[in-house]
Amino acid sequence: MIRANGLSVTYGAVQALRDVTFTAETGAITAVLGANGAGKTTLLRAISGLVAPRSGTVSLDETTLTGERPEDIVRRGVGHVPEGRGVIAEFTVEENLRLGAMISPMPLRDGLNQQYEWFPVLGERRKQAAATLSGGERQMLAMARALIAKPTVLLLDEPSLGLAPLVTAQLMHTVSELCATTGLTVILVEQNAKSALRIARRAVVLYLGRVVADDDAAAVAQDDQLRQYYLGMVK
Amino acid sequence: MGARWNQRVVAGTAVGAAAVLASWLGVGTARAATALSIAAVVLVAALALISSSEFRRDHPVVARAAISVAAVDVSLVVTGFFSSTVDSNLAIGAAMSIVLLGLSFLTGSSGQISIGNGAFMGVGAFTVAIWANHHATTPIAVVLLLAVVAGALVGLLLGLPATRLRGPYLAGMTLAFAVAFGAVLNLFSTWTGGDSGLQLPYAVNAPAWLVHFFQPGTSSLTTNSVWLVDVTIVTAGIALFFMANLFASRTGRAMRLVRDNDVAAELVGISLPRARVIAFTVSAAYAALGGGLWTIINNAVTPATYGFALSITILSLVVIGGIGTIPGALIGGLIYAFAASVIAWFTAHTGLNPQGNVASQLNGIIFGGLLVLTILFAPTGIAGFVRRRWAAWRSR
Repeated sequence: MIRANGLSVTYGAVQALRDVTFTAETGAITAVLGANGAGKTTLLRAISGLVAPRSGTVSLDETTLTGERPEDIVRRGVGHVPEGRGVIAEFTVEENLRLGAMISPMPLRDGLNQQYEWFPVLGERRKQAAATLSGGERQMLAMARALIAKPTVLLLDEPSLGLAPLVTAQLMHTVSELCATTGLTVILVEQNAKSALRIARRAVVLYLGRVVADDDAAAVAQDDQLRQYYLGMVK
Repeated sequence: MGARWNQRVVAGTAVGAAAVLASWLGVGTARAATALSIAAVVLVAALALISSSEFRRDHPVVARAAISVAAVDVSLVVTGFFSSTVDSNLAIGAAMSIVLLGLSFLTGSSGQISIGNGAFMGVGAFTVAIWANHHATTPIAVVLLLAVVAGALVGLLLGLPATRLRGPYLAGMTLAFAVAFGAVLNLFSTWTGGDSGLQLPYAVNAPAWLVHFFQPGTSSLTTNSVWLVDVTIVTAGIALFFMANLFASRTGRAMRLVRDNDVAAELVGISLPRARVIAFTVSAAYAALGGGLWTIINNAVTPATYGFALSITILSLVVIGGIGTIPGALIGGLIYAFAASVIAWFTAHTGLNPQGNVASQLNGIIFGGLLVLTILFAPTGIAGFVRRRWAAWRSR
């Protein structure tokens, strides 16, 4: 279980997060939704230590993560796939995965094989440079690079960005399967609310840095007001 | 399907053995012929290993060692046939290649910039001179190792604040180090010799057993200029081997992630400060090794050699050769080795006779011009340009 408690983050005079409190349940997908500038990415960055909160805490089970360095938070089992994916284009698929495996408790070969099992297309392209992959394959590579470190929590920032609807659906299906089979806790930041709500158990809706809804995903999906005013979904 | 790599080695060594016979027939002294024959066998065996993609894939470290051995082997043989002037230039260039390898790692892999590598060279150069003046019996290999350690320590010290600096601020800090280096040397003039620097108390000559082997007076293989270039080339070969492995290692890959996307690097568990300090330390250690070799080659060291201009030249050569590549560093070293000779040849054959400031700054003008041309027409340097042309030619 990962919990943000009273989290506030400022960038100079701009307050990106205001007293955000929510809990992501173990082994479930929690969707974080909201319009541009709602503070979704900042929330993930605050959880993984990339930005220091002005106040509030983040804890993983009984451990407080706030104040730790990002690389130490990763070692505690919090994987983060950032927006834009962050794979090295000139490296092969396998070389990118080896980077993620640096802190893995598993033997390298076992870790690689597990990722190729979850993402067969990466196995087929293991010797190909990441630059030659499609957008969806790059997103899979970014996810596999985070997963090879055996995290217990995975933060996914806009995985569907720039992907075709069919590829997005496949990706969401994979995330859902991973969660169900491995007990992984996922915090999924998405602008594509419809896709995210379909696989999430809970949903947190942010608006200008505040939590305006924190409920079951099904309930959020049914709430016309939330859908219309905060998620831009028209009936 | 082609022969397996071990079959190639056997075949290659057989070809090399045939060369033994040929060289015995063609070379003046029997022992020189034996040496050349051994070189031929080593080269052919190394090439047989390198030419197998299967071997390169399964044994990458040994393959890199074979490449280094082949390069050193050829270089050692050809230096025996060059004039002493060419050999001296080659020695200077090979030492410069070591320095460029270090900066190439720092800039090309970790994405940091340094305008202070000339001063790091100076640290190595003065370490060798000072130590040799106080402990003349220490073997030269040990003295060079001390230079490496001294350079690494200074690099580590400078790397610590560098972890908090980026771009122009980092460049400014290393620039300050380069500018202050001469003044620091003057501050300790009783040790460093002040402006006039230090002489080595002895000349570094070939060991007696080697001179004896080649029969003194009958072979050019043990003259001092040949010996110095050979020592430098072997050292450069070892430095190249370590750097090639470092580039391909987990640390090397991590550095490139730090360069390309420092957020992603942190998110796979890489400590950015640690990675940046390691890159700085390695770069400084390589520069110090190059500087130490320069002291041995020149038999002396002066502070003026390691001024700010040298740091700028080193940075220019890395860009011209190709940042972040091993061939780029070797090309940069060769350009440095022969730039002065080529300029002299050019001015003599064209009747140009530059005077005054133009003459004294001709090296700088040439490097500056080359740098501008590289940035305009080959932004990935000569190595990148050649690689691209080669790939285009192969794909036709």
